Amino acid sequence: MTRNWTIRSRAGRPIVGGLLVLTILAGGAHGQAQSRLTVFAAADLAFAFKGIVPLFERATGASVILSIGSTGVFAQQIAAGAPADVFFAANASFVDDLIARGVVIPATRSLYAQGRIVLATRRDAPFRPTELRQLTDPRVKRIAIANPQHAPYGKAAEQALQASGLWDTLKAKLVYGDNIRHALQFLQTGAAEAGVVALSVANAPEISWTLVDARLHEPLNQVAVVVRRSQHPELGGAFIRFVVGPQGRPIMKRYGFLLPGDF
Amino acid sequence: MEWFPLWLSVRVALLATGLTMTVGIPVAWWLARRRSTVRQIVAVIVMTPLVLPPTVLGYYLLVLISRYGPVGRVLESLGIELAFTWRAAVLAGAIGSFPLLVRAAQAGFESVDRQLEDAARTLGRYEWSVFWSVSLPLAWRAVAAGSALAFCRAFGDFGITLMVAGNIPGRTQTLPLAIYDHVQSNAMREANVLALVSIGVALTILLGAARFVRFR
Repeated sequence: MTRNWTIRSRAGRPIVGGLLVLTILAGGAHGQAQSRLTVFAAADLAFAFKGIVPLFERATGASVILSIGSTGVFAQQIAAGAPADVFFAANASFVDDLIARGVVIPATRSLYAQGRIVLATRRDAPFRPTELRQLTDPRVKRIAIANPQHAPYGKAAEQALQASGLWDTLKAKLVYGDNIRHALQFLQTGAAEAGVVALSVANAPEISWTLVDARLHEPLNQVAVVVRRSQHPELGGAFIRFVVGPQGRPIMKRYGFLLPGDF
Repeated sequence: MEWFPLWLSVRVALLATGLTMTVGIPVAWWLARRRSTVRQIVAVIVMTPLVLPPTVLGYYLLVLISRYGPVGRVLESLGIELAFTWRAAVLAGAIGSFPLLVRAAQAGFESVDRQLEDAARTLGRYEWSVFWSVSLPLAWRAVAAGSALAFCRAFGDFGITLMVAGNIPGRTQTLPLAIYDHVQSNAMREANVLALVSIGVALTILLGAARFVRFR
């Protein structure tokens, strides 16, 4: 009997004690400020929004939490009640789907930009194709695009290759990134020799690119919307207007977006 | 350099390990008993997080715990929000690490001499008491090894956390998500620093555990 107790005090207690400490530690991990605007933005906006968000914060005094990711994943999460205030999608259909589900405010749906796709390679690549049909060259072994299943820019890349009659020939060479930034990484790391990616993320120093004719794919209409659950829908609407307004516009254009009125 | 993701990850991984231990140790003990069909089935179910793609696991978990899901709806009526909070990250880490702990602990419990447990029973001990005073003290090394692995797995979880907690900087963005974000936005210096920290934490825990536990 006594022996059992000794063993227990040596081995059992640290575990019980550890669990107690854990429970106490649990207290610290919270804190949701009310004055914050949470923005879910498609991956193609990664660079442009890094420039726009600080300007908006300065202009309004609000603080913005920017979450960058895949349009498709964000749409799933917003449908599941994610605490986003505004959603900047890389296309319109995911937003319209959310409108149908009633989780976003239809009146706030705004077309904020039109995207372009480019044919991109590394600047130091020995062979740098500038036309889609050059992708059939054997020196191009892998072509990176975003996953056409759920990434709007991947869909556009697929359409452009199909319209050029190259899809079936090139299919075996394609590698899919989860989103457009991910596809670009295949290029940056040299894992793929070429890629069809968004102009908005192609402005990296080691990348050279050529525009793909916009008539080869459906227009990449990008739509933003305020989420119904938002605590401050007015601020969300203000952010959408800011992006296309006098301060956001030049930054969006610098990253290769066409803005309302330009297309 | 933003360090919030590191502290969040440490906290989340500690809590996830605690949760996994609380549920996993009794499960492992139960699984270590004589074989039966029910136990075989449960053992297989317990292993699924190891073999399912994390994002798939995360998606179905989200369907379950979102405010429109069956579990989420009940929690919401109680005023508890789970999806897209740090608590969801804890749950994600716990689910990912559960099989690692259970496997290790089960092996530990199986190696305990049954005669000692039976001796305790003949001395009038209840099962709960046999567990605390005989089985656990004799199997603690394996349990500790499993817990160390569980912590590292929870600390490094990406896929499940991304789906159920989101990637919200300052709220649910854990260390692995922050590294992903930095890589996405071409901030390779920050990404490298955080990756080194992450490797450091994992190695420290595993080496620390290896001082008194031999990994099998």
